[in-house]
Amino acid sequence: MGDSQYSFSLTTFSPSGKLVQIEHALTAVGSGQTSLGIKAANGVVIATEKKLPSILVDETSVQKIQTLTPNIGVVYSGMGPDSRVLVRKSRKQAEQYYRLYKEPIPVTQLVRETATVMQEFTQSGGVRPFGVSLLVAGFDDKGPQLYQVDPSGSYFSWKASAMGKNVSNAKTFLEKRYTDDMELDDAVHTAILTLKEGFEGQISSKNIEIGVIGSNKIFKVLTPSEIEDYLQEVE
Amino acid sequence: MSKIAESVPPKGGFSFDLCKRNEMLVQKGLKQPSFLKTGTTIVGLVFKDGVILGADTRATEGPIVADKNCEKIHYMAPNIYCCGAGTAADTEAVTDMVSSQLKLHRFHTGRDSRVVTALTLLKSHLFSYQGHVSAALVLGGVDVTGPHLHTIYPHGSTDTLPFATMGSGSLAAMAVFESKYREGLSRDEGVTLVAEAICSGIFNDLGSGSNVDICVITKGEKEYLRNYMLPNPRTYVSEKGYSFSKKTEVLLTKITPLRELVEVIEGGDAMEE
Repeated sequence: MGDSQYSFSLTTFSPSGKLVQIEHALTAVGSGQTSLGIKAANGVVIATEKKLPSILVDETSVQKIQTLTPNIGVVYSGMGPDSRVLVRKSRKQAEQYYRLYKEPIPVTQLVRETATVMQEFTQSGGVRPFGVSLLVAGFDDKGPQLYQVDPSGSYFSWKASAMGKNVSNAKTFLEKRYTDDMELDDAVHTAILTLKEGFEGQISSKNIEIGVIGSNKIFKVLTPSEIEDYLQEVE
Repeated sequence: MSKIAESVPPKGGFSFDLCKRNEMLVQKGLKQPSFLKTGTTIVGLVFKDGVILGADTRATEGPIVADKNCEKIHYMAPNIYCCGAGTAADTEAVTDMVSSQLKLHRFHTGRDSRVVTALTLLKSHLFSYQGHVSAALVLGGVDVTGPHLHTIYPHGSTDTLPFATMGSGSLAAMAVFESKYREGLSRDEGVTLVAEAICSGIFNDLGSGSNVDICVITKGEKEYLRNYMLPNPRTYVSEKGYSFSKKTEVLLTKITPLRELVEVIEGGDAMEE
């Protein structure tokens, strides 16, 4: 990697000033499964569809929502294998930060470092941009935070956001339903309802995944039975 | 100029150039500076429900006690702890590094760390530095396969034992273990035996002293008993306080304020020249 034969970037500007590869990466994200996140007053919730290619796939072996540090979790829309690479790098960066400063990494710092990695892959030789957008949910001294990171490496803090297939409907739904003083449980209900909006087929605890972080600052992926409880409250 | 995307690992391991220079200087007659050693008694034993680790708390720099209450039992994982003897910086750095690696490994696998994993990471690191990282460790923990206790030597060799001692006080501590250890000890018996072994090191070895630290690890639980025993309290503190002879003036009454409190008035007239 990075030998002389590959030391030219594959991501180059078009005459209109756009980086076409990044646009294509965003298209890849847009055709991925819907995922969303909502920041409540006392926590953050992230959720995603978990549509498996066949009923024969063991759904317990698939986990889309991952923990980066005990108080930061992440979900993606787009290409799963690309997200795995980013998760691995982010975990390592969080650990290196801790080794250097003996302080758990703040959410903004981790997001910034992940975004830097994603940007590097748009400018380096012989590589392509990542085909994922990430939603990073964390709770640190500055309170609950939700960030979205795009394949270009840009990141934004959101009160609520969605990505993937059903993004425009989901965002409209969230705009209507979001309130600043929402509690974490309400946010989970709203997340489920938003997923339900564009869901093909019957929503159940087996084909969605939800991750929450509350004021205890511990990121947790909900078990299928906990999701079942929330689903019943919503119905 | 595009930069390399993946980071290339540095070629070859440690560079021994400076070691050669140091040897040459010693031959020329230069006295090498001494480093902070932990001259130590560290012990571990396996009991009925798990593992107990013990250590003294004296850190020495040659003949001087540099730290009277240092921590020699290092955290590796929620279920694994490691006592370190040798150069304090080396034991700290190597246990910190492996603890970090274990944490990442736990994230990737979603499972609790195993003692043999910590063991292998430590011994590979120490071996690759050919004994120049002067860390002698007693590693103990409880994982899914049961309780484990290992010793690791600075050159990278390891032993698996039911009871172990390391450091300058190891002979004193081992004498206690050899006479009193038996299998299937209860928690209290184990803690008493470990404390006795460490005390033996504290009182009979110059490089060990001060207090006893103990860590009890069982399945799903750990107890870090910092300063479990303080057999060396500072006994001769004068209770009367200090009294000065009458000629000494106690400065407190001699302090005169330099200036009265000044009030700042905003927007007043400028001072006239």
